[in-house]
Amino acid sequence: MIDREKPMVEVRKVRKSFGDLEVLRGIDMQVKKGEVLVIVGPSGSGKSTLLRCINLLIQPDSGDIFLEGVKVNDPDIRPEWVRQQIGMVFQSFNLFTHLTALKNVMLGLTKVKRLDGLEAEKIARYELERVGLADKADAYPAQLSGGQQQRVAIARALALNPKVMLFDEPTSALDPEFIHEVLDVMTKLANEGMTMVVVSHEMGFAKSVADELIFMDNGVIVEVGVPEEVFASPKTDRMRAFIGKILG
Amino acid sequence: MRDPGRDSGWRRVWDEPLFKTGVGIVGLLAVVGLLLTALNDIGEISFDFMASHWSFLLRYALTSLEATVISFAVGFGLAIPMGLVRAFGPGMIRRGGLARGVASPLYAIVTGYAEVIRGTPALVQIFLIQFWVTSTFQGVPGISLWAGIAALSVNTTGYQTEVFRAGFQSVGQGQIEAAKSIGMRPTQTFASITFPQGLRLITLPLANEWIALFKASSLLWLIAVQELLWGMDYIGTKLNHPIDAFILGSFFYLAILIPLSRAVTFLERVKRIPGLGVAEPQRRALFAARFARLDRV
Repeated sequence: MIDREKPMVEVRKVRKSFGDLEVLRGIDMQVKKGEVLVIVGPSGSGKSTLLRCINLLIQPDSGDIFLEGVKVNDPDIRPEWVRQQIGMVFQSFNLFTHLTALKNVMLGLTKVKRLDGLEAEKIARYELERVGLADKADAYPAQLSGGQQQRVAIARALALNPKVMLFDEPTSALDPEFIHEVLDVMTKLANEGMTMVVVSHEMGFAKSVADELIFMDNGVIVEVGVPEEVFASPKTDRMRAFIGKILG
Repeated sequence: MRDPGRDSGWRRVWDEPLFKTGVGIVGLLAVVGLLLTALNDIGEISFDFMASHWSFLLRYALTSLEATVISFAVGFGLAIPMGLVRAFGPGMIRRGGLARGVASPLYAIVTGYAEVIRGTPALVQIFLIQFWVTSTFQGVPGISLWAGIAALSVNTTGYQTEVFRAGFQSVGQGQIEAAKSIGMRPTQTFASITFPQGLRLITLPLANEWIALFKASSLLWLIAVQELLWGMDYIGTKLNHPIDAFILGSFFYLAILIPLSRAVTFLERVKRIPGLGVAEPQRRALFAARFARLDRV
């Protein structure tokens, strides 16, 4: 079902420390085009840092990041050029509070892609419609529910037509009743063939959508596999303990 | 939404914020008017004198206004980059390398400037700059006014720098991270996110600074600038009507400052964005909604 060519994103031996704390201790992973990778792990395990290294919001101390085979953590490559090809969705939505939903989605199109206003608006309205919020175009973030804000944030990232989408615990800050609407949009995206790296503890989503699951702990990848199998028969004690915890 | 059927007509009129404000202003004017009339009757003050001299003070009031507007604008222009250095300098210094080399001296200079300006009396700054300017540009006509404007600019720049620093720092890290994540460059992030959001957060302190600056312009009297206080003193002592002159002059300050601060409050309310800056009191929602259509022009 998936075109197994060179990886869309590849991470090699990436290390990152904040002060004395080594958050990533040599991470190797890859995502192929059209694949959905889910990363799970206890808090402080380095998941978010890994995600932020991929789009260079955090510069790794050592190791390499490749996007479609191009090394991107290179002094000769502008991080802005990398980031506009990688969409990111944050735990706390981070919509621009002074802009309407429509303007939030348009901003990257007009400023980064330098489209004119009319064209940007056309694309932005289309993206809002894709996440089911065409009627909320003129609402400010504070007037939207958490689920709606997160869907606008997804539309904002999608508008730039990214090669990969990164999701950093996209449903953790949501009230339970809004989680499914965000997961639905993400599932639709995955089915359309979007390459995705998702940090999330939504087991249902991981089982039904993810091609691969990574379990991280203490800055290393402890276990990799097909989600169903990893959940059903974890190979390590740490993974077993973690599954026990999130299943309650 | 209130059910209109349940309220009597008078009740609804009374609940209009505009009506209450009107009643308040009329009431205040009546009290002040009665007081002044009483003083006029016993001969302490003279309405006749005020009526025949207000136009004399007008041109000096305009000089005060001119000095304030120019120095505020200069301060605004300088405080934006200086506030940026104050807000983001430490972060760049921590990053090390070239960023540190550039940011360290800039941060030290700007911080020193803001501390010295805010830590010394405005009058001392005015005297110092006046001495320097008038000795450098001896004999240039109107030089004392320009020396005064320079001094007020130097002063307000220090205060506005700290106002902008606070505004820029109040913009959430998540907003900056989101802007970065869609590929915006630092300058674009500043122009599209940090500046517009920061400006909204500091509207009130900026208005306060304008008010303080306008009143501080009266200090220029002490370096022989012919501004409003000078005019008040001139007619007060020359014509031996000091109390009338100072009451009349005070009305000029009020006539300029009260409408201005009302206008800022009004703008804040009309241009308000949900979830950003001052919260909107429920009672005022109706009022704001009425003027919201102005927003769409």
